[in-house]
Order: sequence, then structure tokens, then C-alpha cells
Amino acid sequence: MIFKIFRKELLDTLRDRRTLMMMLVIPILIFPITLNVFVSISASFQEEAAVKTLKVGIIGDKNSYFAQQLNEIPAEMGAKKLVFFKDSASLMTELKKDSIQLGIITEKQFDQTLASQFPAKVTWYFDATEIGINERAEQYMKIIEVKAQQNRYDELEVDFRKVTPFQTVYQNIASDKKMVGQIAGGFLPYIFIAFGFIGCMYPAIDLFTGEKERGTIETLLTTPVARWQILFGKMLVVVLSGLLASSAALLGLFISIEFLEIVDNQEIMKIVNEVLSPLFIISMFSLLLPLTIFFAGVMIPIAVYAKTFKEAQSIITPLNIVMVLPAMVGFFPGIELNYLTACIPVVNVVLATKELISGTLEFSHLALSFAVMVMLALASVFVSYRQFGKETNVVS
Amino acid sequence: MIKVNALTKDFPLSRQQRKELNTEDKIARAVDNISFECHPGKVFSLLGPNGAGKTTTLRMLSTIFTPTSGTIEIAGIDAIKYPQEARKKIGFLTGSTGLYARLTPIELIDYFASLYNVPKYQLEERKKYLFDLLNMHDFLGKRIGKLSTGMKQKVSICRTMIHDPEVVVFDEPTSGLDVITAENIIKLIRDCKDQNKTVIFSSHIMSEVDLLCDDLAIIHKGKIKHEGTMLDFRTNMQEPNLTAEFIRIVQS
Repeated sequence: MIFKIFRKELLDTLRDRRTLMMMLVIPILIFPITLNVFVSISASFQEEAAVKTLKVGIIGDKNSYFAQQLNEIPAEMGAKKLVFFKDSASLMTELKKDSIQLGIITEKQFDQTLASQFPAKVTWYFDATEIGINERAEQYMKIIEVKAQQNRYDELEVDFRKVTPFQTVYQNIASDKKMVGQIAGGFLPYIFIAFGFIGCMYPAIDLFTGEKERGTIETLLTTPVARWQILFGKMLVVVLSGLLASSAALLGLFISIEFLEIVDNQEIMKIVNEVLSPLFIISMFSLLLPLTIFFAGVMIPIAVYAKTFKEAQSIITPLNIVMVLPAMVGFFPGIELNYLTACIPVVNVVLATKELISGTLEFSHLALSFAVMVMLALASVFVSYRQFGKETNVVS
Repeated sequence: MIKVNALTKDFPLSRQQRKELNTEDKIARAVDNISFECHPGKVFSLLGPNGAGKTTTLRMLSTIFTPTSGTIEIAGIDAIKYPQEARKKIGFLTGSTGLYARLTPIELIDYFASLYNVPKYQLEERKKYLFDLLNMHDFLGKRIGKLSTGMKQKVSICRTMIHDPEVVVFDEPTSGLDVITAENIIKLIRDCKDQNKTVIFSSHIMSEVDLLCDDLAIIHKGKIKHEGTMLDFRTNMQEPNLTAEFIRIVQS
């Protein structure tokens, strides 16, 4: 009987354009579209930055120290044009007008200080809201400074190795897989959770509040089907919709990675393909299933209680933030799955997935996370059962 | 056959509802100790003004609501102990019945038939009989949402009768319908009577009751104010017309 209800509700749901949009179309399209836009914009910015001539303002003329040093910097580091000023006030005015992008002002006795082998003060002026401008200033300065430093070593006849006590190497021992897991691992479960929630939302409202509002529930309740069977049949559709929305989002992401050439590093692509293995997907869904049941179990009592579609929507939509916000914990480094975090719903799924991608997941943590989610799912199903059993909730 | 004995239904009142109703009572009694019997081949009418307790009574008969106390017997089955068994015998139709707009009539009928476990051979027979009777063939494949009110009403009737119920419950079945569409319902009630089914319907329109019913009960504020045959009602009335007599009984 549950299957009969499920089959009909699924057919009904799949014919609802609004649900289809939220369940399949948007999750599939969101990543290809947003990533495509992102990649295009980013590429056009990079292209623009590469060809754009950076105007650097300097006090003095072409014989000044910085003019000479800057002219010696290879053109491969980006095209630049030097603009000479007589005073700092006019330089600052032009900088504010963006007719120059970098301004260099040195201390008054710059040449003497430099010659007497003391640190000479140089101030670089730039507008930090312009992307990459401060990096350009640092790069230029480093080249000029290294050269000046070498000159001093030569003048002092000092072997620079003698004033360099350490040869330090910082070696990252984390595998590429672990790195990908740590950086991107928080992103994947977030997508699943956000779309899982949205995917559950419309069917939950439509199949419970909608049925009450349209006056069809009364007829259904007069058929020889137990109320719990009706509930379970409908709930299965809500859960399936959530899982379908999550899967559609994953599919969209996969399409984006495969066809939009977002990741140009072959090693990372290999890891991404490894991560998206059948075993990973099965493990992921085993965590997502109780989570989606929990979502459905939270939404259904609200949908059953609400008298109109609008009322249900106005309660469930803010709940989205409460449920999905903990999923953002995956973006923060340093938070790991342990016996405490495994007990926090949503957070445990995010962290477990993150560690699953990194290959560092401990079975006991996974088991505890799974047990917590199953218990919560069961509790939410029980609450749904109680609410759906209340006469005054079901029939308006 | 429907047998109702000492049926009572209380609804708990929330704090908000108590405030709105200006009462200290924690419950509202919608139906208060009512008893009546409906017989096969006869049409029983539950007549009463809005808020009298008609819908609550019919919802208890169709097991949507569980009574606070009292007994209900539907076609020999204790409807409180065995609600699912009782529901197999009932066809339920209300004037405000909604249909699944995204399904076609044929999908909807098949769905409800499956919920009633109608055997396949019997289903084909019933479908042919009802589709012919209601002249539904032209719109069986169209989405219900695109059908006219009259067509939808025919689908509702077909859905109610697909499992050939022994007892048919109509809750204000003609409410909101135009006279031509309402005529389908009136014809259905007559057909049910001819087929020896037990029919109970609620209404607040005296003319409709006069047209159809054999027995009636007048209900007001959850209590039965009058019960008897329509013939007795007509014979013993103290007012010049049926509506005036109905009002007199309600206000007495």
C-alpha cells in the first residue's frame, strides 16, 4: 500500500513544474552556469591584467634611482610605463584619479642614505581595492631590494651565505588527495545539504499542506489505507526528491569539472575523478540518506500543521538557514570529526564527507555520525507520525 | 446499514481558541450524544444550520475522526474498532472534494481502485459501467486541472463509486455547484437508493432534503432536535412550509 501511495505521489510530484525546477533543473544547471560565468569573468580579468599597462608615478626624472631600477625589470612581469612628477602632492592627486596605479615616494636624502649603507625609506602608494596591485608593488620591490642587497654584499665583500644562517625548507607531507579534501571537501557536502533541503521543501509542502488546501486529503483518509502508510508513502517521495536534488547538483558539478576545464592541473583532476568513485558515492549517500530523512521529518510536521502553502513556506524557508548554516563549518580549516563533532547533526555529515574525500576518516567516527543521524531521522519520523495522526492537523 | 449510538465528539481548545471564544472550557463539544439508524435502500438526511455538527458526524462515520464516546456500526462492522475494514464499505463525497489536478481521470480512478484493492476483472467492469453512465469517455485522458466543474464532479462521483460501496456518505454534496452539475449528484443519490445502498447525506437546504430523503434528523449545536421519517415530518409540521418548520425546530 505504501508503494501505491509512493508511486502516485511521485507521478504527481514529477508533473509539478515548480518542484521539477527546484529538484532537477536548478541543481543541474547552477554549477555549469555559475562556474562558467566565474571562469569567463576570471579569464577576462587575467587577460586584461596581462595586457594592461601599469602606470607607475615617480618623483624626479628618468635618471632617478627607482626609474632606472624599474626599467631594468623584465617586461614579462607585466607592461609598465613610468610617469614622472615634480612633487608628491601632484603624484597623489593623479593616483587618486587613477591616471597612475602605483606611486613611489622616497625619503628626502634617499641617495645619501643608500650610499651610506643604511636602510633608505621607500613608500609605495596604491589603491588596494584594485585586484593584484599590491602584489605587483611587492614583486617590483623584492627584485629591486635583492639587487641592492647583493650590491651591498659585494661592496662589503661579504659572502651572503655567511650572513644566512639557515637554509629553510617547508615541506608539506599531506598528499594531494588530503589537500583537495581539506580545501574542497567542505564544499561538496555543503552543496548536498543545501540542495537536499531545497529538494525536500516543495514536495513536503505540496504533498501535505497542498493536499489539505486543495481538499484532497479528506478523500484519501476515507480509503482503507492506514494513516501511517499514507505518511510513509508521501515521506518516501519527499526523501527521494531531496536525494535527487543533491544528486542533480553533483551531476552539475561533475559536468562543470569535466567540460568547462576549470581544473587545469592533471594531478588534481586525477584526484577529483578518484574521489567521485562509486565507493565514495555510496558512502556519501549512506550519510545523506538519514540526513534527508531528518530534513523530511522536520518539514513534514510543519507542512501538516500549516493551513496554507504560504504559511508552510514562510516557516520552512527560514528553517533552511538554521539547517544549512552548520554545513558551512566544512569551509573552516582545523575543525575535525571527533567524538564530539560526530554528535552534532549536519556538522557530522559535513566533516565525515570532508574526511572521506581526504582519506582520513576513522570508522568509529563514521559509525557514531551515522548512528546519530539515524536516531535523529527516527525521532523526526516519529514526530511526523504524531503530527499526521492529529485529526485537527490533517483536516482543516 | 449505519447504526450510531450515543455518539459524542469533543475537540480540545487551545489557549488562543479559548480567548477567541471567550470561554474557560478546555474542550468544545461538536457532537453531543446523538443516535440514529440509516437503512439500506433508504436515503437518510442530516439537516442542520452551519456549525451544527453535520460534517463532524459524517467524518466520524467515515472514520476520519475518532469519536470521544459512543459507537458506530457500518454494514455490520464496528467502525471504531476496525476503521480500515469499515472504510472498505464506504464511499465518501463532499461538495468541497478536491481532485488531483495533475492526474488524468483514468489515473485517478485506477489509483483509488488500487487503494480499495478492487480486483482487476471487477475494476474493468466498474470502469466501463461508470464511464458509460456518467458519459466520461471524452475526457478520460485529460489532466483534471483542465476539466470543467461538471466534468470534475463526474470524476468525483466515479471515484466515490468505483469500489461499489454498500454505504455512501455525502457531505453537503451540492454545495457550490450550479443546478445542472448538482443534478448529477441528485441522480447519483437516487441510483444508490435503487441499488439498495445505505445513503446518508448532510444538507442545510430543505428543498433538497424534501426531494430526496426518506428519513431525516435535524441537528443543532451538536444535538439531534428531531428524528423520524420525511413522511411524518410533513404530516406533523406546524408551520406552513418545510423551511419554516425546520427553522422552528432548530430555534425551539
